[in-house]
Amino acid sequence: MRRLRPRTSHLASLVCLGLLLCASRTGHAGLFGHVTIPQWGLDAYKTHTPDYAKDAAAVVLFHEFVETVDAQGRAVERERRVKRVLKPQGRSEVTCDVVYDVDEKINYFRVWTIAADEKQYQAQDTDFTEEGDTGIPIMLSTRKVRIAHPPAVDVGATIICESEKLLEPYLQETVWQFQSGIPVVFQALEIDLPAGRAHTQSWHNHQPVQPLEVAPNHWRWEIKDMPALDLREVKSHPEWAALAARMSVQWGDAAVEGKDNQWRAIGQWSTTLEANRPDPSPEIIAQTQSLIAGAPDFYTKLSRITEYIQKNIRYFIVERGIGGLQANYAADIFRNRYGDCKDKTTLLISMLQVAGIHAFYVPVDHRRGVVDPDFPSLMGDHMITAIELPPDIQDPRLKAIVKANDGKRYLIFDPTDERTPVGNLRSELQGSYGTLAAGPSSQVIALPVLSPDSNGTEQKGAFTLSADGTLTGSVDTSHIGPEGAFYRRLLKETDAKEQREIWETYVAETLPGVTLDAFQFTQPSALDKPLEFHYKVTAHQYAHTAGPLFLVRSRVLGTFTRPFDDKPRTLPIELGATGRWRDSFDIAIPPGYVVDETPNPVDIDLDFASYHSTVSAKGNLLHYEREYVVRQVEIPAAKAADFRKLESAILSDEKGAAVLKKQ
Amino acid sequence: MRIHPFLRNVLPLLAIASPALLLAQFQQPTPEELKMTDDPKAPGASAVYLNREEITDVANHFKSNYQRIKVLKEKGKELATIRTSSVVHGVDTVTDIEGRTIHADGTIIPLTVKPDDLMDFKAKNYQVDAIVFTLPGVEVGSIIEYRLKIHSPDYRINEPVWDIQQAYFVHQAHYSFHPYIEPGYHIINSQGQTMTRLMYAARLGADAKVIHDEKKDIYSLDLTDIPAIPDEDWMPPLNTFKWRVEFYYTNAVTGADFWQDAQKYWSNWIQNFTNPTKELKNTVAGLVASGDTDEQKAMKIYAAVQKLDNTDFSRKKSYVERKKEKLKDIHKAEDVWKQQSGSANDIALLYVALARAAGLKVWPAFVVDRDRALFDINFLSDSQFDNDIVIVNLSGKEVYLDPGQKMCPFGKLHWKHTFAAGFRLSDQGVTIATTPLGTYKDAVAQRIAELEIDEQGNVKGVVRFIMTGPDALHWRQLALQNDQEEVKKQFNESMQNEIPEGVLADFDHFLGLEEYETNLIGIVQVRGNIGAATGKYFFLPGLFFQSRAAHPFVAQDKRSTPIDVHYARMEQDEVVYHLPPGFTVESAPQPTTLSWPNHALLKIASATKDGQITVARAFARNFTVLDPKDYNDLHDFYLKVAAADQQQLVLTRASAAKGN
Repeated sequence: MRRLRPRTSHLASLVCLGLLLCASRTGHAGLFGHVTIPQWGLDAYKTHTPDYAKDAAAVVLFHEFVETVDAQGRAVERERRVKRVLKPQGRSEVTCDVVYDVDEKINYFRVWTIAADEKQYQAQDTDFTEEGDTGIPIMLSTRKVRIAHPPAVDVGATIICESEKLLEPYLQETVWQFQSGIPVVFQALEIDLPAGRAHTQSWHNHQPVQPLEVAPNHWRWEIKDMPALDLREVKSHPEWAALAARMSVQWGDAAVEGKDNQWRAIGQWSTTLEANRPDPSPEIIAQTQSLIAGAPDFYTKLSRITEYIQKNIRYFIVERGIGGLQANYAADIFRNRYGDCKDKTTLLISMLQVAGIHAFYVPVDHRRGVVDPDFPSLMGDHMITAIELPPDIQDPRLKAIVKANDGKRYLIFDPTDERTPVGNLRSELQGSYGTLAAGPSSQVIALPVLSPDSNGTEQKGAFTLSADGTLTGSVDTSHIGPEGAFYRRLLKETDAKEQREIWETYVAETLPGVTLDAFQFTQPSALDKPLEFHYKVTAHQYAHTAGPLFLVRSRVLGTFTRPFDDKPRTLPIELGATGRWRDSFDIAIPPGYVVDETPNPVDIDLDFASYHSTVSAKGNLLHYEREYVVRQVEIPAAKAADFRKLESAILSDEKGAAVLKKQ
Repeated sequence: MRIHPFLRNVLPLLAIASPALLLAQFQQPTPEELKMTDDPKAPGASAVYLNREEITDVANHFKSNYQRIKVLKEKGKELATIRTSSVVHGVDTVTDIEGRTIHADGTIIPLTVKPDDLMDFKAKNYQVDAIVFTLPGVEVGSIIEYRLKIHSPDYRINEPVWDIQQAYFVHQAHYSFHPYIEPGYHIINSQGQTMTRLMYAARLGADAKVIHDEKKDIYSLDLTDIPAIPDEDWMPPLNTFKWRVEFYYTNAVTGADFWQDAQKYWSNWIQNFTNPTKELKNTVAGLVASGDTDEQKAMKIYAAVQKLDNTDFSRKKSYVERKKEKLKDIHKAEDVWKQQSGSANDIALLYVALARAAGLKVWPAFVVDRDRALFDINFLSDSQFDNDIVIVNLSGKEVYLDPGQKMCPFGKLHWKHTFAAGFRLSDQGVTIATTPLGTYKDAVAQRIAELEIDEQGNVKGVVRFIMTGPDALHWRQLALQNDQEEVKKQFNESMQNEIPEGVLADFDHFLGLEEYETNLIGIVQVRGNIGAATGKYFFLPGLFFQSRAAHPFVAQDKRSTPIDVHYARMEQDEVVYHLPPGFTVESAPQPTTLSWPNHALLKIASATKDGQITVARAFARNFTVLDPKDYNDLHDFYLKVAAADQQQLVLTRASAAKGN
């Protein structure tokens, strides 16, 4: 496959867990004082800013890629781009850059400006800088970006960039990300293929556009007037990259008829790339045998291996050229005890192999919706594992199961996720797609959406309210599934002081004026056991006197609300995670007071979620109880009214106060 | 190190041969170190440094680093990756990289992977690399140990900066510096002065001291039990309390000499730059009228320089543009006026020159940006100073001006230039002085809401945000670099934490955005639902703007560092709820007065009449920097404020109130 390209898009390499790509630059300029802007740039400059772009910070007037592929399938890419600054903040939108890695080469990179007063400039050597991909502490990357800092970038200026780059030899796919954060007036992609070389195309969130054959086996796609995709003011929206329109052209092994065949070819390519990487060394064999010795069942055997990798292999990314896609050898990973997502998957496959369990690579993207079954592509940023389940294994702890089109069952597991137990799956991955890289059986697979019982929190609080309004009490919480994993990660990534501060801040978000009197947690070593927090709080003036009344908010802690508004909705609504969350709070009211009134119960049942809440009084106890269940991770825009109804009800319930009065 | 402005262009010259210092050798861990699972000296820490060593040997042109780290928790594994940055490509070389991991059982895993030399940043003729490697087999309980050497060519002299405090506790640290200048060579500054003296500025714990072995000419520092860098909210700039030693060459004999020389140099330079030339006098004659008072003159000149293109808020033209437009470099105030453009500092000094030309008594000051750092007199460098401001004498009173801050009202300073030390010129010459602090009256944010409530708790209305001081300056300066649509979006986003959950705000327009001498008013439409009901009662947030306010200083009950809230401030809220027909106020927020004498005050009051209730809240914070010993009072006060701000407004339906 070839690289995944254009602006604002992510490249193809498996950075793992969405670690950001670098940026870079370099360049050279024309002779000082002598500016010759190419005709294509001058032509694009004449384009009037269209009305639909008037609110944008900048507009792309012209953007063209030409990929010239040689007989071996390696491409040279020429990019031409013309942007205009429309607003002061648009200056940052018109920077030109070229990202490259060790297997790539920038042939040239030139930048011109036609200023608002029509003066013409060409960027000089001093207007280019270059940056390494050194900003991420847990990553070692050879990627670089050459950045042009064009002169005279003011409102009204037009920036013209042209670059040519020899691309990596090992990818035979281009992903054209033709929708960005600013509108584009005209854009084109050309693929110039050697005679006889086939190609295929696929489109994501856009109607297919038929190409022109401008020369024999030289294809050109054109798109006009592409609006910006701006999600800034859209509440609870899916991932930007999942919504943005794009297309892909394949000219390698995946350039075959039929989506299934294309996915098969992509999976086969991954299989070949990682072939022999998982081969176990004697040390791996010995370690695995030691781990599984005496394991009474499949689950125990499996969980001992997965937990070993989760706990002992430190996450560290090494990206050197193809190393962005290809894992290290299992023996090296095991010896060094570190690696990235590909490496962890490799070692897992290796150890499972020793244990007699088949497992496979599954390239995915950590952002739900980016991998599209109708868009066969290597596009993605993460690697997880599919573990083949023997037919006789029916263990309820193994929840994240998919059935492939050959009838085999696979348990989906992410070894990079150091805290989610095997059998479960991180919420962000649920509802996504991935490539099962199983040689000739390769295919695209839908990752499961787990039932609400696989995830959630139970929160219990016992409080005493004093006559002066002070609330004191203790809270016990128990977290399972991805939510438990989230808190385990939090504990992993912080020290004791930070943990307490984070918890204090978290509690104070819904309980203003609170002090944390005690804080401890129970973190069982086994990841499939719940994580528990136990803490005590004091909140002064929690209850307020209102004339003869005493007002007590019955929902003491926590919130289930998600951002929403009343604007017309066209995009799907992201719910985050399936799960079941329960709160149960008992408040002992002060002597001499009785409960006069309580908020009304709430009962909402929708297909994607439900919410039930009650407040009751018995003796001197005010009891609040609620349950929130989410059954889907994303709902269509058509359900916006239901979503608003749900969120309004939750919000109203969370504000509800019980009224006490003196006996 | 940051180079002193007039130590720039130092010509570091050759130096060879000097006693070599041995790199620390790998150490055999003690059984206690191997067994350690928590450190009583740093309870709960994720890692601790057992040893740190940094040796700079100029004679032998190398700097060496050695570190030994105990990993105590998962987070501590982050120290397993080593990134040696600022290695100048083609100049510095990194050698002798060795590392190992020792497990708690004593197993040793050596570093065998070759470190990577990665380009970090590159510009024309200049590239900085980072050497990156990660140690193998690191687990909780491991001891990580590594060392490396960075060699520099003999023409480079690198005075070390010892950053003593780290993110983690340090048990033992050793620093050493062997300076060397080869006989016959010397270091000069940009004024051609020979810098013969090596000095250092040190901020250290009570018992720590840099030792100079005069015989060997080695400066050394040995420390034990170094606390981790503090990390708390609302801290002053770290430069004021982070332990650090910085060496530099100077021609001064004492600190007093240094500052005297620096002041003299600055005075000469500034007098020259702000010289009220004939051309500037002609200019100012067109700006002011002969009958103007001094204040009128000062204001007219201020208005004139505010109109100039301030490149700190627009864009600095590139070399190519300046060449094309035949613009010369700016060497004096007159150039700024001619070009009608300059940096914030250029424009501030132009103001001085024009005011002088107008016959005003005016002085420049060159101060530290308090958002970045505080002035440290023990650090002998005027690179500490950032910005030029102006002091003008009007009717015998000194008025501070900030002409370099576009949209800053006349007579006010940006908060980062208040309580900021630096050089100032006066009739007595140059002194080191500190600008005054503002009071809460200089930073007032009023929020006035007129809200209609219906029987379902839906709210609709208008909120007026009236701002003076830093808030107004923030939005006005943002509007210089963004169009109004973007400013509107950011204003909407900033309001989300100021209005109750369930309420949507739509920014409508600003009044006075371009008139910096007036209040800035933001008009916002709000709508949503804020009510909650029981059978008889109906609840609304008593303090509309506080219902989800995140009060500072509430969650943490202890404090180790000073508190810096940047500037004093006052909030004044007035919310009028128009009640639905048939509803009456059962209970309003209690009249409240909370006082922290001489520091802060909260007042809440309400008034009911004719189907409406008005709730007023005033909160004044009249402090800027507090000592940690004041934290208990601060914490207690904010606890009370947080509680008072959660009061509810209780309504009853008229019929229900009658018991029906």
